[in-house]
Amino acid sequence: MIYDFIVVGSGSGGGALSYYLNKSGANVLLLEAGKFYRKDTFPKTEAETSAQLYWGGGIEFAQNGKMGFLRTKMVGGSSIVYQCLMDRFDDIAFNDWRAESGVDWFTPEQMDPHYSQVESDMVLHTFKREEMRPNGILFADACDKLGYKWGFLRRGQSDCGADKGNDCVGCLGGCFRDSKQSSLVAFIQKAEKEGLKIQAETEIYKVEPNKDTCKIHGFHQGKPVTLEAKKVILCGGAFGSTRIMTMSGYASKLPALGKKFASHPQFMWLGFQNEPVDAHKGMFQSVASKDPNFRAQGFKLENVFASPISIGMLMNVTGAKHQHYMKQYRYMQCIEVAVRDENIGEIKCDNKGKLTIVKPLTDQDKTRRDKGLHAIENIMNAAGAKEIFKSNFYFGLHLMGGCVMGTDASKSVVNPDFQVHGEQTLYIADSSIYPNAPGINPGLTIKSLGHRLATQLLK
Amino acid sequence: MNTFSNRAVKGLTKIGNIYCPKNGEFPAYEEVAGLHFLNTLAVNVPKDDFTSLNLVLIIFSFLPNGILRWLVGKFEAAQEDDSEGIIASTLRQLNLGLRGLCYSTYYSEFTNPAYKGRTPMEIIDYKVNRVTN
Repeated sequence: MIYDFIVVGSGSGGGALSYYLNKSGANVLLLEAGKFYRKDTFPKTEAETSAQLYWGGGIEFAQNGKMGFLRTKMVGGSSIVYQCLMDRFDDIAFNDWRAESGVDWFTPEQMDPHYSQVESDMVLHTFKREEMRPNGILFADACDKLGYKWGFLRRGQSDCGADKGNDCVGCLGGCFRDSKQSSLVAFIQKAEKEGLKIQAETEIYKVEPNKDTCKIHGFHQGKPVTLEAKKVILCGGAFGSTRIMTMSGYASKLPALGKKFASHPQFMWLGFQNEPVDAHKGMFQSVASKDPNFRAQGFKLENVFASPISIGMLMNVTGAKHQHYMKQYRYMQCIEVAVRDENIGEIKCDNKGKLTIVKPLTDQDKTRRDKGLHAIENIMNAAGAKEIFKSNFYFGLHLMGGCVMGTDASKSVVNPDFQVHGEQTLYIADSSIYPNAPGINPGLTIKSLGHRLATQLLK
Repeated sequence: MNTFSNRAVKGLTKIGNIYCPKNGEFPAYEEVAGLHFLNTLAVNVPKDDFTSLNLVLIIFSFLPNGILRWLVGKFEAAQEDDSEGIIASTLRQLNLGLRGLCYSTYYSEFTNPAYKGRTPMEIIDYKVNRVTN
């Protein structure tokens, strides 16, 4: 069978794209390397979540071992475990994208119809003051004292059941209420009801495009499989799409392949309060910095938190000292800084498909990090923290670049129409095409780029 | 399927007792850790990485505790320094990998069912309500 479209990868980009393509009546197959979990089959514990839902069995490391990357492997991709914060990009982000790529439609105005369509297909909620939990209140009140601007987050969610006593920290392993507007909930399950074909546990390693169709090769539940479509769209994310392209032999044709990797490095610090904060209870993340000075300086702050294993991993001490801090789990205030980093990272892949990620922090990244951490220290002190644990472990959730979009084939991998340079039937539409780090949560824009490509393919 | 050898489990137990010792209310790692869950937690670890980890743990099982404590100190120090070299990189990855395994069987529901005392999750008073619809 020759499909109209095969979409490889079911995260934010692949889920939305396959939904819009399928809606037109096209014959669409959505492939995913990981398993197909539903709200009642997601792992129930933090340990199982890390082990079962993430590539590498929990975490993958940069070559220097300093930075960890969190990358999920299941239908719905990373949208299943992330916080589903839905922000449009601003002029700063799009101006920098245009300058880097030469792509003239990277503007808020040109992207507006795509943002609007995706937003209308999701349930979005902007938090209110009465929904704030102590971790958020400590953050917001301290920001007010210091003159830092903050704001409420806009999140994709329908009914989180906080009024019924539900604790949303559990949804970091997949939302068991189908409230979080993951790619699975907002797009894939709806498309499934309308006939979208979904094949999980199918890992693609090679693409073979020609003038009229594109063949792909991989393994389904360990058995070799070859599939064919009139058009194939890679949506495997920065690591996944770059890996497939490299294993397909494009490194020699497209020198930019694997380059310009960025990841918004995130540093989480813990402040210990005298009274319980219970940062893991209820709607645990509701506010973030909205300070134009922070934006200009290249960082943002969020009042995040995590379950005990992850919090334990942040603290690079052992034995009784570690237990002393863990005993105060309920008294922890937590703030993270996400750095708008330079895109000098590189995703390398050997002929067996093993990835090596080179991701040093540049001097500019370190300056931005230090300014952000200084702001966190100010906030925690203003909030009355009796001690601050300054974790130096950092990680990346927003994996971007490797197959960047641009007008120049010597500096990019896909053209402004999402096509791989020089190919007619092979496209990429995920965070790997990001020309540089926007410094804003990438999820909504990935979906909106998927909508833009769907509109273009269906013309 | 990744399967830790018995010797590797012994090595993990020794290192786990350093990361999570008996201390006040906290039980020793060897008392409470859900070691029979270890293979479940390694299901997605790439084969090459798992083989290396299993081998390192086997070596640990033969080392005296004093040497292991010294090694743990090296792991911690590597996390704090700026070296880009392969030794520092390996020590950092071991630091996080080993702590990940230990904490996943200590600060979690995956504890030893035969252990009758208060678990680390109870000691830190971690409770999460899951209200389904």
